[in-house]
Amino acid sequence: MTEIDRPASPAPRRNRFPEEVGVIAALLLMLVVIGLARPLFLNPLNLFSLLSNSTFLGMLAIGMVFLLAIREIDLSVGWMFNFSAVIAAMMMVAGLNPWLAAIAGILFGGLLGLVNGVLCVTLRLPAIIVTLGTFSMFQGLSLVMNKSRAIVPSDTTSTYFTFFKERLFGVVPVAGLIFVTLAIVLHLVLHRTRFGYRVQAVGSNPEAAKLAGIPTGLVRLQTLVLMGAICGLSGVMYVGFRGAIDPVEGSDFVLVVVAAVIIGGTPLSGGHGTIIGAVVGMLIIQVISSGLIFFGIDATWSTFVTGAVIVLAVSLDQLIKHQRARRADRIG
Amino acid sequence: MDRPPLIEVRQLAKHYGGVIAMADMNLSVEPGTIHAVVGENGAGKSTLMKVLAGAVQPDSGDIILDGQPVSIGSPSRARQQGIGIVYQELSLFPERSVLANLFVNAEPTRGGFISLSAMEQQCGPVLDQLGLHVDLRGPLSRLSIGEQQLVELSRVLIEKPRLLILDEPNSALNRAETERLFKVLEGLRAQGITILYVSHRLEEVFAISDRITITRNGRDTRTARTAELTIPQVIEGMIGQHREAMFPPPLPRKEGVADRALVVSGVAGGALREASFSVGSGEIVGLAGLEGSGVSDLLEILFGTRQAKVGHASYPDGGGLPRSPTQAARRGICMVPADRRKNGLMLDKSILFNISNVVVGARNDGPLTFFPSRALERAQRQIQALRIRAASAFAPANALSGGNQQKVVIAKWLEIGPDVFLLDDPTRGVDVGAKREIYALIRQMGAEGGIVLFSSTELPELIGLCDRILVIYQGRLVADLSGAALDSATVLHIVNTGKLSQDTTLARATP
Repeated sequence: MTEIDRPASPAPRRNRFPEEVGVIAALLLMLVVIGLARPLFLNPLNLFSLLSNSTFLGMLAIGMVFLLAIREIDLSVGWMFNFSAVIAAMMMVAGLNPWLAAIAGILFGGLLGLVNGVLCVTLRLPAIIVTLGTFSMFQGLSLVMNKSRAIVPSDTTSTYFTFFKERLFGVVPVAGLIFVTLAIVLHLVLHRTRFGYRVQAVGSNPEAAKLAGIPTGLVRLQTLVLMGAICGLSGVMYVGFRGAIDPVEGSDFVLVVVAAVIIGGTPLSGGHGTIIGAVVGMLIIQVISSGLIFFGIDATWSTFVTGAVIVLAVSLDQLIKHQRARRADRIG
Repeated sequence: MDRPPLIEVRQLAKHYGGVIAMADMNLSVEPGTIHAVVGENGAGKSTLMKVLAGAVQPDSGDIILDGQPVSIGSPSRARQQGIGIVYQELSLFPERSVLANLFVNAEPTRGGFISLSAMEQQCGPVLDQLGLHVDLRGPLSRLSIGEQQLVELSRVLIEKPRLLILDEPNSALNRAETERLFKVLEGLRAQGITILYVSHRLEEVFAISDRITITRNGRDTRTARTAELTIPQVIEGMIGQHREAMFPPPLPRKEGVADRALVVSGVAGGALREASFSVGSGEIVGLAGLEGSGVSDLLEILFGTRQAKVGHASYPDGGGLPRSPTQAARRGICMVPADRRKNGLMLDKSILFNISNVVVGARNDGPLTFFPSRALERAQRQIQALRIRAASAFAPANALSGGNQQKVVIAKWLEIGPDVFLLDDPTRGVDVGAKREIYALIRQMGAEGGIVLFSSTELPELIGLCDRILVIYQGRLVADLSGAALDSATVLHIVNTGKLSQDTTLARATP
């Protein structure tokens, strides 16, 4: 290899553009196209409600990036969300301070994640298998707790029930702001901490990670607990936002969440993830469903279009990778 | 040349992007001979073989088969022309049966259904010839790597090729299996089959081939009858200059290095039966044994990936056997695994990322943060110290040649300055130039007071580098050789028989 045999020079940066450029460009393009046809769509109030609508699922997508990065997938996110919300709401009904109940809800989410994690690590099973089971277990237990009825905290005088709905300067929703803050924090966690490094290492090659002394079981456990806690946070915020939790809320979350992560550019093959991409991916899904409404197309089409976007996104990704691989294919 | 060549290659060129794999490659193979192609990694020999097998299309140049120019557009076209290839890396299906692997996409049928008995009949003669007697209906994954390699060879032979290409077929074979393979190749030559043989192991090339073509930088530099060449001449042709001795001389011990030892007492687990020995700091101790003899089990136990059934050990830090690789890494015990692509590297990640594996991934001291700038410093330091040839520290590990990949695996451990080095066949599939550099690194590990345990499938390596060699035969530590006893005949005899030959007296031998 004539080219590669050069001794290393002071390294140039790996990419000139961050990898998320493509998906961000796609989002902007969609906004421009819809905005040209329906200028009302670009009203700041509408744009921020897109963000606000993305919040609860978007937070789950952020956690799911960590799971795909470690080459796992958590199917139980929707019911961890629901179960944590139900528990927090029931505490509020029982008269506990809603803020304290919320903290308890987050911890409860983390506990559910711990259940997933302990099962995965001790049984040495992939998370997709374990969470296929806990998906129904959490759903079932949640239904037992709420007796298949919506839990509605009756005393909504606490600031908790107005806080998340508030809009700073009349436009910026607090819930959306928390979502963006969480994304930034976890982006730094994934790329700038020992834990994030380990997640990527284990996802890239679990066997090599183990033989490099990386505590792979612990990292997997931590990732699943993080996922559970994020579900708890999203769940309790939802209770504050809506003032109630429906017994079926969360049932269809997991596919949308994974879709957002994949549209964002996180590969299923592990070792790598982009949180910014996942946030943008979730926004794209929101723009599709609300954009269709702006065009007067029946909202039932949005599921189909979202699916089509996933196929489009992964095929574009595949095409780019294929081109790159052909160019980089070096055989001695 | 008495007979017209079976296949001729003229001025073949191929580049991938800016990387030139072949510049001007010429080759002429006489029928009924074993023709070896040698060269360092990146010399273009594998690309040449892939072109002949139809897997890669050349940019320019001619291929002449039986005096007729041909274009080999696809692997199936190559098969029709009677060209069969066995690749270096196995392309088998581990979960499927041996039979299914032998007839991939060419299953014989009876009445429209795949017939297992027809398969057994068809492959019988070939398997007999190879001496491969295994459960044909059981899954392939139950076979040893060496047996799997023979399955791959059988698959090609069943198609009765005129030209058989072997691309480093014995990189995973132990000595006994290699000898069996060579017998088979000689038998095939006697039947008139022409064989193109690519290998790194020059001793073996000299043992088996009739003619040798030496390649360098995408060109053929010399072709001659094997009898007319010597190993130093071939090495010179491969690297284009005179080479110093393959094994660097022992380095003087560094001053002020404390004397410590690894003491292993009665450790057993896996195939290994109770073994006791000790290694002092600065010592390079070789581990010799056939595949499955227990050498790799011993290394796994010492690194904590396998638990010992009985026995204990005392490490330089005062502790016993590590309970996990994580604990080992935190205690300065390092392991370079045999299969670096599978077990040593994160191939899609950068060199920078890989070199941080242990410092950031395994250790728990230091900050919780991971700064790419600091990781870059680490990577640059190791790239310089180990002379890793890469476009930059951001290049993915996948883009490196085998030798440079292995240096990355070693580099990530050197970052923590280990006390105990466990090296499992660290030069497997590495070109001659990089091998020498790795030998120098091993010497350096010893000179700095490290305790080095080094297993290898290549005996000359062990003899050239080690102060002592421990021989394990069928799970038992049968010999501890040093000094005058370190010669290949003695070691080879013990490795293969477990007994000391009568005419050699040994310094020490553990029963």
